[in-house]
Amino acid sequence: MTTATRLGAAMLAAAIGLTAAGCSADSTGSDDTSSTPAAAGSVDLRMTVWTSNEDQLALFDSIAESYRAEHPEIGSITFESLPFADYNTTLTTQIAGGNAPDLAWMGDLSEDLISSDALVPLTEKLQDTEGWNYDDLLDSVTAEFSDGDELYAYPFSNSPFALYVNTDLLAQAGQTLPADGLTWEDVSTIGAAVNAATGKGGFVLRDFDYASWNVLGTVWPGWGAAAWSEDGTECTFDSPEMTEAFRFLHDAAFVDGSMPGPGTTADFFAGDSAFTVAQVSRASLLDGSFAYDVVPLPEGPAGEYSVIGQAGVGVLSSSDHVEEATDFLAYLTNPENAALLAQYFPPPRESLLTGEALAANNPKLTAEQLQTVVVDRIPDAVTLPNHANPAEIAQKGKTALDAMWTADADVEAVLGSVCDAIQPLLSR
Amino acid sequence: MKAPFWTTRRRDALTGYLFITPQLIGVVVFVLVPVGLAVWYSLNDWNIFRGELTFVGGENWAALLDDPQLPSVLGATAVFSGGVVVLNISLGLALAVMLNRRFRGVTVFRTMFFSPVVVSVVAWTLVWGFLLQDNGGINAALSVVGIDGTNWLQNGNTAMVAVIVTQVIRSVGVNMVLFLAALQGVPGELYEAARIDGAGDAAIFRRITLPLISPTLLLTAIITIVGALQAFAQIAVLTQGGPGLSTTVLVYYVFQQAFEFNDIGYGSTLALMLLTFVMLLTLLQWQLRRKWVFHEN
Amino acid sequence: MRTDLARRIVLVVALTVLAIPFVIPTVWMIASSVKPLAEIFQSPPTLFTSSPTFEAYAEAFRFQPFARQYVNSVYIAVVVTVITLVVSSMAGYAFARIRFPGSNALFLVVLVGLLVPSEVTIVPLFQMFTEAGMVNTHWPLILVTALAAPCVLATFIMRQFFIALPGELEEAARLDGLGRPAIWARIALPLAKPALSAVTILTFLASWNLYLEPTVYLTSPELFTLPQALTRFTDAYGGEMWNTQLAAATMTVVPVLIVFVIAQRQFVEGLAHAGLKG
Repeated sequence: MTTATRLGAAMLAAAIGLTAAGCSADSTGSDDTSSTPAAAGSVDLRMTVWTSNEDQLALFDSIAESYRAEHPEIGSITFESLPFADYNTTLTTQIAGGNAPDLAWMGDLSEDLISSDALVPLTEKLQDTEGWNYDDLLDSVTAEFSDGDELYAYPFSNSPFALYVNTDLLAQAGQTLPADGLTWEDVSTIGAAVNAATGKGGFVLRDFDYASWNVLGTVWPGWGAAAWSEDGTECTFDSPEMTEAFRFLHDAAFVDGSMPGPGTTADFFAGDSAFTVAQVSRASLLDGSFAYDVVPLPEGPAGEYSVIGQAGVGVLSSSDHVEEATDFLAYLTNPENAALLAQYFPPPRESLLTGEALAANNPKLTAEQLQTVVVDRIPDAVTLPNHANPAEIAQKGKTALDAMWTADADVEAVLGSVCDAIQPLLSR
Repeated sequence: MKAPFWTTRRRDALTGYLFITPQLIGVVVFVLVPVGLAVWYSLNDWNIFRGELTFVGGENWAALLDDPQLPSVLGATAVFSGGVVVLNISLGLALAVMLNRRFRGVTVFRTMFFSPVVVSVVAWTLVWGFLLQDNGGINAALSVVGIDGTNWLQNGNTAMVAVIVTQVIRSVGVNMVLFLAALQGVPGELYEAARIDGAGDAAIFRRITLPLISPTLLLTAIITIVGALQAFAQIAVLTQGGPGLSTTVLVYYVFQQAFEFNDIGYGSTLALMLLTFVMLLTLLQWQLRRKWVFHEN
Repeated sequence: MRTDLARRIVLVVALTVLAIPFVIPTVWMIASSVKPLAEIFQSPPTLFTSSPTFEAYAEAFRFQPFARQYVNSVYIAVVVTVITLVVSSMAGYAFARIRFPGSNALFLVVLVGLLVPSEVTIVPLFQMFTEAGMVNTHWPLILVTALAAPCVLATFIMRQFFIALPGELEEAARLDGLGRPAIWARIALPLAKPALSAVTILTFLASWNLYLEPTVYLTSPELFTLPQALTRFTDAYGGEMWNTQLAAATMTVVPVLIVFVIAQRQFVEGLAHAGLKG
């Protein structure tokens, strides 16, 4: 911290009769843990997560409990549940405030953390851990959390996006899914028919809300499009493939009526729409009030594709207990515990990815559904667009893309303006 | 005999200093020192993840000129603040005039118009977010009377109108009550005298009421402008600054830069620019008050 | 006489129409909080549901430590209001009634506190509180609100009130041998009830409504305040839990509204008689 801030803090402390030194006591006395074994119960670890699901937190607690039984130096391991919507902001605020957790879940913040050396490299530790079986990890899921060959976060959750179908609504509108080779055109046609017949929505891209355009990354790969070049330096929103993908979406909202327009809330899980694109992990939201099916994402003109949404867990290098935190991470993600975590989070380990294994703990989906939607799809899946500086790219892109969501939008021109807006950020 | 050091005057002065000390410390520690720090931050580039502060001189200030989004942000800020102030003060005054008389139910009306003030901004804005949806309550109500409502929050102009109107409805109660107080302070004899002279309602309002309540007008104008320039929750919950940049006011932009994009140097620079605006506006009003504020004591 | 009656009717009709946007949102919020989720977005929308459920109310408490958050908001607002009443009535009294060198200049310094938007100070304050180890505690919310901007407005209001107070009362008290602090406590404060109640209302609401500050300072749900908690009713993936949000919002609004309706005379009259004449 700067001298000026210290001065301010000192005045603040003086003003309210506190001494600044007395308040920072909890960060002292732990600098020497790397050289000598820590005293029993002297190490407290904190891990930020965005789930508030009690079962999931209970599982983490029980794993932490068994780890503590073997490691007397660990005093406590707490899992701090931060709200998903503000997760990145809250985590960076903690980091900026010098109050960073020891371990953290991360989604699209990973690139920023890796490029700022804020994460501890994991590959060597995991490879050296007895029985951890590093080669079990699928390459397609580690790429987003690696820099070169070095892994910086363990991708504990790799949840594929799937198409959820409200078969009740389809039946009401006299529609059926084609036996095989479902395409986006089919989805749009059926969706429009459902909309016309029932007044309910056609297809909904969950969480898109005409704002989080990142989610459209579940659609445009079907047209062979991508947000930016593979090295992340060139915007490719203005490509012909992307233009076609957005023409499809624009027509769906404004011509065919197969996708509810902006400013219209339609919740698939409340029975408001025929289809939704959402992660397999959202199956827990199905409450049985209507008949449903879950199928792989439809094909686009460029053929079959699959998309996963990922979450990783890593160790912050600012932690006072890097060694203990990394050791706990290796324990948390070893084959036995990875199998436990797989109840809730599709695992990155090839050995755990079978339909039956996943179905054992997922009452909402059948083994066959899980096999086709999850297991067969993960190895070739692409991820949602991910780049350093995610918040600013998201905001600048959204600002430009808002012009897309009017009936008379010029699709090509809007996509050009998206590139104008985000290209400077990509090449930074 | 020597006069005692602690004369009444001296003791009084000491009491005065002691009485203002807590307030003064509060302002110095929680306002002036942070403003000084903000100036320092604005001269630096701050990498949050590394915890590194690099002195960059006037770079952040120069970036103001190169920021392609800033002109629209300033425009939106001007429209929003101007709209809120004009609407808030005129509506507040109109309500006060209408309710400054005795009739059955006047208390009920005062309560209704004041009630949104006690509803938390976030709850209020959440509800309006529902009502303003394309398939929401407002359009449903409009369709009953045969009007095909627009998609309020998806069009830049109507979104701006929506945030202004929801802000005014929520906060106009305070101004209404302040004006009521001022109106009740106008001596009744003045009105009677004017009536005897044959003055009409409009003339009485312009010649007598307005000048006499002009000090309140100044106070409400200052409070409302400062409030409008700080309207954060409304924007964050209702529109997130969209569509496009249409409702991205300076306050929201500062928050994005500093806390979402983690660019604290630039965020501080923007914030200081905002402070400059507030100061200039207040100074301007203060200077102009001699022209239009009737009695100044 | 007839025109007078006609006028009155026009006035009441006009006021009734004007009142719609002031009242309907609150009514709609309360009515919707007991709707089943699927009915909230039903088209055409309903105002009242035929099958009310209080499930969302229970969910609000299950999902977050909502009762705790409620207590947080209430106690912070009360503490802030009490501190502000003391600080502002002292400062306002001194600025209005006591002559001491530099009082005008110091008053201007204090007024600056009213004009600096919180967005200017929030980043430096965050760093200062971090250094002092007070992030993720309620201290920043209490200290800043009770001593900075809202308190300055209160000091301003108190000063305006005390300026208008007749001087004879003080002179009499002085002849009785009372010192300044005693005059403040025994003479001035009891007379200042309207101003104090105005300050109470404004300060309590300012603290009750704080949104940016808790968003920045607090990260643990059990420390959250209500406005902040309201925006956190989202499922594990950021999907909004609409009916829970509405139920929670209703619970934050209704008690305050009830207090307000009961005490509305004091509320409005308090503000009206605070002597706010510029």
